[in-house]
Amino acid sequence: MDIVLKVDGLTKSYGRGADAVKVLGGISFEVGQGEFVSVVGPSGCGKTTLLFAIAGLHSLTSGSVRLKGQLVTAPPRGVAVVFQDYSRSLFPWKNNRDNVAFGMARIAGRSTGEKRARAEAMLEAVGLGGFGDKYPWQLSGGMQQRVAIARALASESELLLLDEPLAAVDAQTRSDMQDLLLDIAIRFRQTCLLVTHDVDEAVYMADRVVVLTRRPTTVDHEIRIGLGKKRDQIATRENPVFLKARHDVMTSIRNFRAAAPADALA
Amino acid sequence: MSAGSLTSFSALHRLNAVVSFLVIAAAWQLVAISGVVPAKYFPDIPAIASAFWSMLASGELPGAELRTLTRALTGLAGASILGIGLAVLSDLSPVFRRGFAPVAALVQPIPPAALVPMAVFMLGLGPRLYAFIIILVTVWPPYFNGVAALAGVPGEQIRSGQMMALGRWQMLWQIKLPAALPEIFAGIRYASTISLIAVVVAEMLAGHDGLGFLLIRKAFAIRIPEVYALMFVCALNGILMNGIIGLLRWQLTGWHMRMTEQPA
Repeated sequence: MDIVLKVDGLTKSYGRGADAVKVLGGISFEVGQGEFVSVVGPSGCGKTTLLFAIAGLHSLTSGSVRLKGQLVTAPPRGVAVVFQDYSRSLFPWKNNRDNVAFGMARIAGRSTGEKRARAEAMLEAVGLGGFGDKYPWQLSGGMQQRVAIARALASESELLLLDEPLAAVDAQTRSDMQDLLLDIAIRFRQTCLLVTHDVDEAVYMADRVVVLTRRPTTVDHEIRIGLGKKRDQIATRENPVFLKARHDVMTSIRNFRAAAPADALA
Repeated sequence: MSAGSLTSFSALHRLNAVVSFLVIAAAWQLVAISGVVPAKYFPDIPAIASAFWSMLASGELPGAELRTLTRALTGLAGASILGIGLAVLSDLSPVFRRGFAPVAALVQPIPPAALVPMAVFMLGLGPRLYAFIIILVTVWPPYFNGVAALAGVPGEQIRSGQMMALGRWQMLWQIKLPAALPEIFAGIRYASTISLIAVVVAEMLAGHDGLGFLLIRKAFAIRIPEVYALMFVCALNGILMNGIIGLLRWQLTGWHMRMTEQPA
Protein backbone atom coordinates (compact mmCIF):
# COMPACT_ATOMS: atom_id res chain seq x y z
CA MET A 1 0.00 0.00 0.00
CA ASP A 2 1.32 3.46 -0.95
CA ILE A 3 1.82 5.88 1.88
CA VAL A 4 -0.16 9.09 1.33
CA LEU A 5 0.63 10.83 4.61
CA LYS A 6 3.64 10.39 6.84
CA VAL A 7 3.79 12.34 10.09
CA ASP A 8 7.18 12.01 11.74
CA GLY A 9 8.09 13.29 15.23
CA LEU A 10 5.76 16.26 14.95
CA THR A 11 5.98 18.67 17.89
CA LYS A 12 4.24 21.98 18.41
CA SER A 13 4.86 24.45 21.21
CA TYR A 14 3.15 27.76 21.88
CA GLY A 15 5.01 30.63 23.48
CA ARG A 16 8.73 30.98 24.17
CA GLY A 17 11.23 30.27 26.92
CA ALA A 18 9.88 29.40 30.34
CA ASP A 19 6.28 30.16 29.32
CA ALA A 20 6.37 27.78 26.35
CA VAL A 21 3.61 25.19 26.37
CA LYS A 22 4.31 21.99 24.50
CA VAL A 23 1.01 20.83 23.00
CA LEU A 24 2.19 18.12 20.63
CA GLY A 25 5.10 16.13 22.00
CA GLY A 26 6.31 14.12 19.00
CA ILE A 27 3.58 12.47 16.94
CA SER A 28 4.34 9.84 14.31
CA PHE A 29 1.90 7.86 12.19
CA GLU A 30 1.12 7.05 8.57
CA VAL A 31 -1.96 6.92 6.39
CA GLY A 32 -2.02 4.60 3.40
CA GLN A 33 -3.72 5.05 0.03
CA GLY A 34 -7.48 4.62 0.33
CA GLU A 35 -7.36 4.21 4.09
CA PHE A 36 -9.82 5.80 6.52
CA VAL A 37 -7.93 6.66 9.69
CA SER A 38 -9.45 8.18 12.83
CA VAL A 39 -7.41 10.15 15.33
CA VAL A 40 -8.96 10.25 18.77
CA GLY A 41 -7.68 11.54 22.09
CA PRO A 42 -8.67 13.10 25.41
CA SER A 43 -10.17 16.59 25.36
CA GLY A 44 -7.62 19.33 24.89
CA CYS A 45 -4.89 17.07 23.51
CA GLY A 46 -4.44 19.27 20.44
CA LYS A 47 -6.28 17.26 17.80
CA THR A 48 -7.21 20.33 15.77
CA THR A 49 -3.66 21.69 16.12
CA LEU A 50 -2.40 18.39 14.69
CA LEU A 51 -4.86 18.53 11.79
CA PHE A 52 -3.98 22.14 10.95
CA ALA A 53 -0.28 21.23 11.05
CA ILE A 54 -0.91 18.40 8.59
CA ALA A 55 -2.90 20.79 6.37
CA GLY A 56 0.04 23.20 6.31
CA LEU A 57 -2.03 25.87 8.08
CA HIS A 58 0.15 25.82 11.23
CA SER A 59 3.92 25.77 11.37
CA LEU A 60 5.61 22.89 13.18
CA THR A 61 8.06 23.32 16.04
CA SER A 62 9.94 20.21 14.96
CA GLY A 63 9.40 17.00 13.03
CA SER A 64 7.92 16.68 9.55
CA VAL A 65 4.75 16.08 7.57
CA ARG A 66 5.05 14.48 4.15
CA LEU A 67 2.32 14.14 1.57
CA LYS A 68 3.24 11.48 -0.99
CA GLY A 69 6.86 12.04 0.00
CA GLN A 70 6.69 15.82 -0.43
CA LEU A 71 7.50 17.88 2.66
CA VAL A 72 4.47 19.99 3.69
CA THR A 73 5.39 23.58 4.55
CA ALA A 74 2.29 25.39 3.24
CA PRO A 75 -1.23 24.17 2.35
CA PRO A 76 -0.49 21.57 -0.35
CA ARG A 77 -2.62 21.15 -3.46
CA GLY A 78 -3.48 17.58 -2.59
CA VAL A 79 -5.18 18.21 0.76
CA ALA A 80 -8.77 19.28 1.42
CA VAL A 81 -10.22 20.14 4.82
CA VAL A 82 -13.79 19.89 6.08
CA PHE A 83 -14.00 22.19 9.09
CA GLN A 84 -16.15 21.65 12.14
CA ASP A 85 -18.11 24.88 11.82
CA TYR A 86 -19.75 24.54 8.40
CA SER A 87 -21.74 27.76 8.80
CA ARG A 88 -18.49 29.70 9.01
CA SER A 89 -16.45 27.83 6.42
CA LEU A 90 -18.85 28.23 3.49
CA PHE A 91 -19.21 31.60 1.78
CA PRO A 92 -22.72 32.99 2.31
CA TRP A 93 -22.43 35.32 -0.69
CA LYS A 94 -21.90 32.40 -3.06
CA ASN A 95 -24.62 29.94 -3.97
CA ASN A 96 -23.94 26.27 -3.26
CA ARG A 97 -22.65 25.55 -6.77
CA ASP A 98 -20.13 28.39 -6.58
CA ASN A 99 -19.14 27.34 -3.07
CA VAL A 100 -18.35 23.86 -4.40
CA ALA A 101 -16.61 25.29 -7.46
CA PHE A 102 -14.34 27.26 -5.13
CA GLY A 103 -12.85 23.87 -4.19
CA MET A 104 -11.44 23.69 -7.74
CA ALA A 105 -9.54 26.99 -7.46
CA ARG A 106 -6.21 25.15 -7.63
CA ILE A 107 -7.10 22.87 -10.51
CA ALA A 108 -5.68 24.40 -13.66
CA GLY A 109 -6.91 24.11 -17.22
CA ARG A 110 -10.65 23.77 -16.67
CA SER A 111 -13.26 25.95 -18.25
CA THR A 112 -15.94 27.63 -16.16
CA GLY A 113 -18.49 25.31 -17.75
CA GLU A 114 -16.52 22.21 -16.75
CA LYS A 115 -16.14 23.47 -13.20
CA ARG A 116 -19.84 24.22 -13.04
CA ALA A 117 -20.72 20.74 -14.26
CA ARG A 118 -18.35 19.13 -11.82
CA ALA A 119 -19.73 21.22 -8.96
CA GLU A 120 -23.23 19.99 -9.84
CA ALA A 121 -21.95 16.42 -9.93
CA MET A 122 -20.35 16.77 -6.50
CA LEU A 123 -23.57 18.21 -5.05
CA GLU A 124 -25.35 15.23 -6.58
CA ALA A 125 -22.81 12.91 -4.91
CA VAL A 126 -23.63 14.27 -1.45
CA GLY A 127 -27.36 14.04 -2.10
CA LEU A 128 -27.92 17.72 -2.89
CA GLY A 129 -28.69 17.51 -6.60
CA GLY A 130 -30.78 20.53 -7.63
CA PHE A 131 -29.59 22.69 -4.72
CA GLY A 132 -26.89 24.46 -6.74
CA ASP A 133 -28.82 27.72 -7.05
CA LYS A 134 -29.70 27.84 -3.36
CA TYR A 135 -27.47 29.55 -0.82
CA PRO A 136 -25.88 27.75 2.16
CA TRP A 137 -28.00 29.74 4.63
CA GLN A 138 -31.13 28.38 3.00
CA LEU A 139 -30.14 24.84 4.04
CA SER A 140 -30.18 22.96 7.33
CA GLY A 141 -26.94 22.40 9.25
CA GLY A 142 -26.46 18.87 7.98
CA MET A 143 -27.05 19.97 4.40
CA GLN A 144 -24.55 22.81 4.78
CA GLN A 145 -21.93 20.33 5.92
CA ARG A 146 -22.74 18.23 2.83
CA VAL A 147 -21.96 21.29 0.69
CA ALA A 148 -18.64 21.63 2.53
CA ILE A 149 -17.94 17.94 1.85
CA ALA A 150 -18.81 18.42 -1.83
CA ARG A 151 -16.40 21.37 -1.97
CA ALA A 152 -13.64 19.20 -0.48
CA LEU A 153 -14.38 16.39 -2.96
CA ALA A 154 -14.33 18.82 -5.88
CA SER A 155 -10.71 19.66 -5.15
CA GLU A 156 -9.68 16.10 -6.16
CA SER A 157 -7.37 15.83 -3.20
CA GLU A 158 -5.08 12.96 -2.23
CA LEU A 159 -6.12 13.36 1.39
CA LEU A 160 -9.35 14.53 2.95
CA LEU A 161 -8.92 15.97 6.46
CA LEU A 162 -12.07 15.93 8.56
CA ASP A 163 -11.94 18.15 11.64
CA GLU A 164 -14.80 16.91 13.85
CA PRO A 165 -17.10 17.52 10.89
CA LEU A 166 -20.20 16.13 12.59
CA ALA A 167 -19.78 17.64 16.06
CA ALA A 168 -22.34 20.36 15.41
CA VAL A 169 -25.18 18.31 13.86
CA ASP A 170 -27.92 16.46 15.73
CA ALA A 171 -27.56 12.74 16.52
CA GLN A 172 -29.78 11.35 13.74
CA THR A 173 -28.26 13.59 11.10
CA ARG A 174 -24.87 12.51 12.39
CA SER A 175 -25.51 8.80 11.67
CA ASP A 176 -26.71 9.67 8.16
CA MET A 177 -23.65 11.82 7.58
CA GLN A 178 -21.30 9.12 8.87
CA ASP A 179 -22.71 6.71 6.30
CA LEU A 180 -22.56 9.38 3.60
CA LEU A 181 -18.87 10.01 4.35
CA LEU A 182 -18.12 6.27 4.33
CA ASP A 183 -20.01 5.85 1.06
CA ILE A 184 -18.10 8.73 -0.50
CA ALA A 185 -14.76 7.41 0.79
CA ILE A 186 -15.47 4.08 -0.96
CA ARG A 187 -16.90 5.52 -4.19
CA PHE A 188 -14.15 8.09 -4.71
CA ARG A 189 -11.41 5.86 -3.22
CA GLN A 190 -10.76 8.86 -0.99
CA THR A 191 -8.05 8.64 1.65
CA CYS A 192 -9.47 10.18 4.83
CA LEU A 193 -8.12 11.33 8.16
CA LEU A 194 -10.84 12.01 10.71
CA VAL A 195 -10.08 13.87 13.92
CA THR A 196 -12.76 13.48 16.58
CA HIS A 197 -13.40 13.30 20.32
CA ASP A 198 -16.25 10.80 19.74
CA VAL A 199 -14.85 7.29 20.32
CA ASP A 200 -17.86 5.50 18.80
CA GLU A 201 -17.61 7.60 15.67
CA ALA A 202 -13.84 7.09 15.46
CA VAL A 203 -14.22 3.29 15.60
CA TYR A 204 -17.34 3.11 13.41
CA MET A 205 -15.78 5.08 10.57
CA ALA A 206 -12.19 3.89 10.50
CA ASP A 207 -10.01 1.13 9.12
CA ARG A 208 -7.55 2.13 11.81
CA VAL A 209 -7.74 4.28 14.95
CA VAL A 210 -4.78 6.30 16.21
CA VAL A 211 -5.15 6.91 19.96
CA LEU A 212 -3.43 10.00 21.34
CA THR A 213 -2.21 10.65 24.89
CA ARG A 214 -2.84 13.80 26.87
CA ARG A 215 -0.51 16.81 26.58
CA PRO A 216 2.25 16.91 25.55
CA THR A 217 0.53 14.64 23.09
CA THR A 218 2.08 11.56 21.49
CA VAL A 219 0.59 8.48 19.84
CA ASP A 220 -0.33 6.00 22.57
CA HIS A 221 -1.19 3.12 20.27
CA GLU A 222 -3.02 2.22 17.08
CA ILE A 223 -5.77 -0.33 16.54
CA ARG A 224 -6.76 -1.87 13.23
CA ILE A 225 -10.54 -2.18 13.00
CA GLY A 226 -11.08 -5.46 11.15
CA LEU A 227 -14.63 -4.82 10.01
CA GLY A 228 -14.14 -4.37 6.27
CA LYS A 229 -15.21 -1.28 4.34
CA LYS A 230 -18.98 -1.79 4.59
CA ARG A 231 -20.45 -0.60 7.87
CA ASP A 232 -23.96 -0.59 9.23
CA GLN A 233 -25.29 1.67 11.96
CA ILE A 234 -26.97 -1.23 13.81
CA ALA A 235 -25.03 -4.40 12.93
CA THR A 236 -21.54 -2.85 13.08
CA ARG A 237 -22.17 -1.29 16.46
CA GLU A 238 -23.19 -4.72 17.83
CA ASN A 239 -20.24 -6.55 16.27
CA PRO A 240 -17.80 -7.95 18.89
CA VAL A 241 -14.89 -6.48 16.89
CA PHE A 242 -16.44 -3.00 17.18
CA LEU A 243 -17.20 -3.49 20.87
CA LYS A 244 -13.71 -4.70 21.66
CA ALA A 245 -12.08 -1.77 19.82
CA ARG A 246 -14.45 0.69 21.47
CA HIS A 247 -13.62 -0.82 24.88
CA ASP A 248 -9.91 -0.53 24.22
CA VAL A 249 -10.02 3.13 23.05
CA MET A 250 -12.50 4.18 25.73
CA THR A 251 -10.31 2.65 28.47
CA SER A 252 -7.19 4.45 27.23
CA ILE A 253 -8.94 7.79 27.08
CA ARG A 254 -10.52 7.36 30.50
CA ASN A 255 -7.10 6.57 31.98
CA PHE A 256 -5.58 9.70 30.42
CA ARG A 257 -8.42 11.83 31.74
CA ALA A 258 -8.08 10.33 35.23
CA ALA A 259 -4.33 10.98 35.22
CA ALA A 260 -4.70 14.56 34.04
CA PRO A 261 -4.85 17.43 36.52
CA ALA A 262 -8.37 18.83 36.67
CA ASP A 263 -7.49 22.12 34.95
CA ALA A 264 -6.06 20.32 31.91
CA LEU A 265 -9.51 18.97 31.16
CA ALA A 266 -11.11 22.38 30.94
CA MET B 1 -38.96 34.10 2.12
CA SER B 2 -40.93 34.29 -1.12
CA ALA B 3 -40.88 37.43 -3.24
CA GLY B 4 -44.58 37.94 -2.50
CA SER B 5 -44.17 38.23 1.24
CA LEU B 6 -41.21 40.55 0.75
CA THR B 7 -43.17 43.02 -1.41
CA SER B 8 -46.19 42.99 0.88
CA PHE B 9 -43.78 43.61 3.76
CA SER B 10 -42.30 46.71 2.13
CA ALA B 11 -45.75 47.87 0.97
CA LEU B 12 -46.89 47.75 4.58
CA HIS B 13 -43.82 49.76 5.56
CA ARG B 14 -44.61 52.37 2.95
CA LEU B 15 -48.20 52.60 4.20
CA ASN B 16 -46.91 53.08 7.75
CA ALA B 17 -44.67 55.89 6.58
CA VAL B 18 -47.54 57.66 4.80
CA VAL B 19 -49.76 57.37 7.89
CA SER B 20 -47.02 58.75 10.19
CA PHE B 21 -46.44 61.62 7.79
CA LEU B 22 -50.15 62.50 7.67
CA VAL B 23 -50.40 62.37 11.48
CA ILE B 24 -47.43 64.74 11.87
CA ALA B 25 -48.84 67.11 9.22
CA ALA B 26 -52.23 67.13 10.95
CA ALA B 27 -50.66 67.83 14.35
CA TRP B 28 -48.62 70.63 12.80
CA GLN B 29 -51.67 72.18 11.23
CA LEU B 30 -53.60 71.98 14.54
CA VAL B 31 -50.81 73.73 16.44
CA ALA B 32 -50.48 76.39 13.71
CA ILE B 33 -54.19 77.30 13.64
CA SER B 34 -54.58 77.10 17.45
CA GLY B 35 -52.46 80.24 17.80
CA VAL B 36 -50.34 78.84 20.66
CA VAL B 37 -47.24 79.79 18.71
CA PRO B 38 -47.20 83.11 16.80
CA ALA B 39 -48.21 82.35 13.18
CA LYS B 40 -45.26 84.43 12.02
CA TYR B 41 -42.79 81.84 13.33
CA PHE B 42 -44.96 78.80 12.89
CA PRO B 43 -46.74 79.01 9.53
CA ASP B 44 -49.44 76.52 8.66
CA ILE B 45 -49.06 73.77 6.07
CA PRO B 46 -50.61 75.65 3.11
CA ALA B 47 -48.23 78.59 3.67
CA ILE B 48 -45.23 76.26 3.71
CA ALA B 49 -46.53 74.41 0.65
CA SER B 50 -46.99 77.61 -1.32
CA ALA B 51 -43.50 78.79 -0.31
CA PHE B 52 -42.17 75.44 -1.51
CA TRP B 53 -44.09 75.77 -4.77
CA SER B 54 -42.91 79.30 -5.50
CA MET B 55 -39.25 78.35 -4.91
CA LEU B 56 -39.76 75.35 -7.15
CA ALA B 57 -41.39 77.40 -9.91
CA SER B 58 -38.75 80.14 -9.76
CA GLY B 59 -36.04 77.53 -10.26
CA GLU B 60 -34.03 78.54 -7.21
CA LEU B 61 -34.94 75.37 -5.31
CA PRO B 62 -34.16 72.82 -8.09
CA GLY B 63 -30.79 74.46 -8.74
CA ALA B 64 -29.85 74.52 -5.05
CA GLU B 65 -31.11 70.99 -4.51
CA LEU B 66 -29.12 69.64 -7.43
CA ARG B 67 -25.90 71.26 -6.21
CA THR B 68 -26.34 70.09 -2.62
CA LEU B 69 -27.26 66.57 -3.59
CA THR B 70 -24.40 66.29 -6.07
CA ARG B 71 -21.95 67.49 -3.42
CA ALA B 72 -23.30 65.10 -0.80
CA LEU B 73 -23.29 62.10 -3.16
CA THR B 74 -19.86 62.65 -4.71
CA GLY B 75 -18.47 63.44 -1.25
CA LEU B 76 -19.99 60.28 0.17
CA ALA B 77 -18.69 58.17 -2.72
CA GLY B 78 -15.18 59.58 -2.29
CA ALA B 79 -15.26 59.22 1.48
CA SER B 80 -16.54 55.65 1.26
CA ILE B 81 -13.82 54.60 -1.16
CA LEU B 82 -11.19 56.33 0.98
CA GLY B 83 -12.62 54.80 4.17
CA ILE B 84 -12.62 51.30 2.71
CA GLY B 85 -9.11 51.88 1.37
CA LEU B 86 -7.85 52.94 4.81
CA ALA B 87 -9.61 49.96 6.40
CA VAL B 88 -7.95 47.59 3.91
CA LEU B 89 -4.59 49.21 4.59
CA SER B 90 -5.17 48.78 8.33
CA ASP B 91 -6.00 45.13 7.72
CA LEU B 92 -2.90 44.51 5.60
CA SER B 93 -0.50 46.39 7.86
CA PRO B 94 -0.75 46.27 11.66
CA VAL B 95 1.84 49.07 11.80
CA PHE B 96 -0.45 51.34 9.79
CA ARG B 97 -3.43 50.34 11.92
CA ARG B 98 -1.68 51.22 15.16
CA GLY B 99 -0.36 54.48 13.73
CA PHE B 100 -3.63 55.58 12.17
CA ALA B 101 -5.97 54.70 15.07
CA PRO B 102 -4.97 57.70 17.25
CA VAL B 103 -5.27 60.04 14.25
CA ALA B 104 -8.79 58.74 13.62
CA ALA B 105 -9.71 59.06 17.28
CA LEU B 106 -8.49 62.67 17.30
CA VAL B 107 -10.00 63.92 14.03
CA GLN B 108 -13.31 62.06 14.15
CA PRO B 109 -15.04 64.11 16.90
CA ILE B 110 -14.42 67.50 15.20
CA PRO B 111 -17.84 68.88 14.13
CA PRO B 112 -18.13 69.95 10.47
CA ALA B 113 -18.86 73.58 11.45
CA ALA B 114 -15.56 73.80 13.35
CA LEU B 115 -13.66 72.76 10.22
CA VAL B 116 -15.12 75.42 7.96
CA PRO B 117 -13.11 78.55 8.97
CA MET B 118 -9.66 76.96 8.56
CA ALA B 119 -10.78 75.15 5.43
CA VAL B 120 -11.87 78.47 3.89
CA PHE B 121 -8.48 80.03 4.62
CA MET B 122 -6.61 77.09 3.16
CA LEU B 123 -8.81 75.97 0.30
CA GLY B 124 -10.93 78.99 -0.62
CA LEU B 125 -14.63 78.76 -1.36
CA GLY B 126 -14.64 76.31 -4.26
CA PRO B 127 -15.39 72.61 -4.59
CA ARG B 128 -12.20 71.72 -2.72
CA LEU B 129 -13.73 73.18 0.43
CA TYR B 130 -16.73 70.90 0.16
CA ALA B 131 -14.63 67.88 -0.68
CA PHE B 132 -12.38 68.49 2.31
CA ILE B 133 -15.19 68.96 4.84
CA ILE B 134 -17.41 66.14 3.62
CA ILE B 135 -14.59 63.63 3.44
CA LEU B 136 -13.16 64.58 6.81
CA VAL B 137 -16.46 64.00 8.60
CA THR B 138 -17.86 61.18 6.43
CA VAL B 139 -14.87 58.89 6.09
CA TRP B 140 -15.09 57.46 9.64
CA PRO B 141 -18.14 55.18 9.64
CA PRO B 142 -17.01 53.20 6.55
CA TYR B 143 -13.46 53.14 7.97
CA PHE B 144 -14.34 51.95 11.49
CA ASN B 145 -16.91 49.44 10.26
CA GLY B 146 -14.46 48.26 7.62
CA VAL B 147 -11.67 47.66 10.15
CA ALA B 148 -14.02 45.76 12.48
CA ALA B 149 -15.58 43.72 9.69
CA LEU B 150 -12.26 42.78 8.07
CA ALA B 151 -10.90 41.69 11.44
CA GLY B 152 -14.08 39.70 12.06
CA VAL B 153 -13.99 37.50 8.95
CA PRO B 154 -14.39 33.91 10.28
CA GLY B 155 -11.14 31.97 10.59
CA GLU B 156 -12.71 29.03 8.71
CA GLN B 157 -13.31 31.21 5.65
CA ILE B 158 -9.73 32.51 5.78
CA ARG B 159 -8.38 28.96 6.16
CA SER B 160 -10.57 27.79 3.28
CA GLY B 161 -8.87 30.47 1.20
CA GLN B 162 -5.42 29.43 2.46
CA MET B 163 -6.14 25.83 1.43
CA MET B 164 -6.71 27.21 -2.09
CA ALA B 165 -3.34 29.01 -1.85
CA LEU B 166 -4.94 32.41 -2.39
CA GLY B 167 -2.49 35.31 -2.38
CA ARG B 168 -2.96 38.37 -0.21
CA TRP B 169 -4.98 40.30 -2.83
CA GLN B 170 -7.03 37.30 -3.90
CA MET B 171 -7.86 36.69 -0.25
CA LEU B 172 -8.91 40.32 0.09
CA TRP B 173 -10.91 40.44 -3.10
CA GLN B 174 -12.50 36.99 -3.03
CA ILE B 175 -13.09 36.47 0.69
CA LYS B 176 -12.43 39.36 3.06
CA LEU B 177 -14.17 42.18 1.18
CA PRO B 178 -17.33 40.21 0.28
CA ALA B 179 -17.54 39.04 3.89
CA ALA B 180 -17.04 42.58 5.23
CA LEU B 181 -19.26 44.43 2.76
CA PRO B 182 -22.58 44.23 4.67
CA GLU B 183 -21.04 45.84 7.74
CA ILE B 184 -19.24 48.41 5.59
CA PHE B 185 -22.57 49.33 4.01
CA ALA B 186 -24.10 49.89 7.42
CA GLY B 187 -21.31 52.44 7.91
CA ILE B 188 -21.91 54.07 4.52
CA ARG B 189 -25.59 54.39 5.29
CA TYR B 190 -24.80 56.17 8.51
CA ALA B 191 -22.21 58.31 6.72
CA SER B 192 -24.79 59.42 4.14
CA THR B 193 -26.71 61.38 6.79
CA ILE B 194 -23.52 62.97 8.07
CA SER B 195 -22.53 63.88 4.53
CA LEU B 196 -25.84 65.75 3.97
CA ILE B 197 -25.43 67.60 7.25
CA ALA B 198 -21.84 68.54 6.44
CA VAL B 199 -22.75 69.91 3.00
CA VAL B 200 -25.62 72.05 4.29
CA VAL B 201 -23.52 73.39 7.18
CA ALA B 202 -20.63 74.22 4.83
CA GLU B 203 -23.02 75.96 2.43
CA MET B 204 -24.54 77.95 5.27
CA LEU B 205 -21.20 79.10 6.62
CA ALA B 206 -19.14 79.58 3.49
CA GLY B 207 -21.22 78.85 0.42
CA HIS B 208 -22.64 80.97 -2.35
CA ASP B 209 -25.14 78.41 -3.58
CA GLY B 210 -26.87 75.20 -2.55
CA LEU B 211 -29.62 74.42 -0.04
CA GLY B 212 -27.70 75.63 3.01
CA PHE B 213 -26.95 78.97 1.36
CA LEU B 214 -30.57 79.37 0.23
CA LEU B 215 -31.79 78.52 3.71
CA ILE B 216 -29.59 81.06 5.46
CA ARG B 217 -30.53 83.75 2.90
CA LYS B 218 -34.25 83.09 3.45
CA ALA B 219 -33.69 83.14 7.21
CA PHE B 220 -31.95 86.52 7.06
CA ALA B 221 -34.81 87.83 4.91
CA ILE B 222 -37.23 86.47 7.55
CA ARG B 223 -39.02 84.37 4.93
CA ILE B 224 -40.18 81.88 7.56
CA PRO B 225 -42.42 79.61 5.37
CA GLU B 226 -39.51 79.28 2.91
CA VAL B 227 -37.15 78.29 5.75
CA TYR B 228 -39.56 75.55 6.84
CA ALA B 229 -40.00 74.38 3.26
CA LEU B 230 -36.21 74.11 2.90
CA MET B 231 -35.97 72.17 6.17
CA PHE B 232 -38.52 69.79 4.72
CA VAL B 233 -36.39 69.42 1.59
CA CYS B 234 -33.34 68.59 3.76
CA ALA B 235 -35.36 65.85 5.44
CA LEU B 236 -36.50 64.49 2.07
CA ASN B 237 -32.87 64.39 0.91
CA GLY B 238 -32.11 62.02 3.77
CA ILE B 239 -34.78 59.65 2.53
CA LEU B 240 -33.61 60.01 -1.07
CA MET B 241 -30.01 59.27 -0.08
CA ASN B 242 -31.10 56.24 1.91
CA GLY B 243 -33.01 54.98 -1.11
CA ILE B 244 -29.99 55.35 -3.41
CA ILE B 245 -27.75 53.53 -0.93
CA GLY B 246 -30.41 50.87 -0.43
CA LEU B 247 -30.38 50.15 -4.17
CA LEU B 248 -26.60 49.88 -4.23
CA ARG B 249 -26.65 47.72 -1.13
CA TRP B 250 -29.17 45.39 -2.73
CA GLN B 251 -26.96 45.13 -5.83
CA LEU B 252 -23.78 44.33 -3.91
CA THR B 253 -24.92 42.58 -0.74
CA GLY B 254 -28.41 41.37 -1.61
CA TRP B 255 -27.46 37.92 -0.30
CA HIS B 256 -26.98 39.38 3.16
CA MET B 257 -30.27 41.28 3.11
CA ARG B 258 -32.11 38.11 2.07
CA MET B 259 -30.20 36.06 4.65
CA THR B 260 -31.06 38.38 7.54
CA GLU B 261 -34.68 38.77 6.45
CA GLN B 262 -35.10 35.01 6.27
CA PRO B 263 -37.34 33.61 9.02
CA ALA B 264 -35.13 31.74 11.47
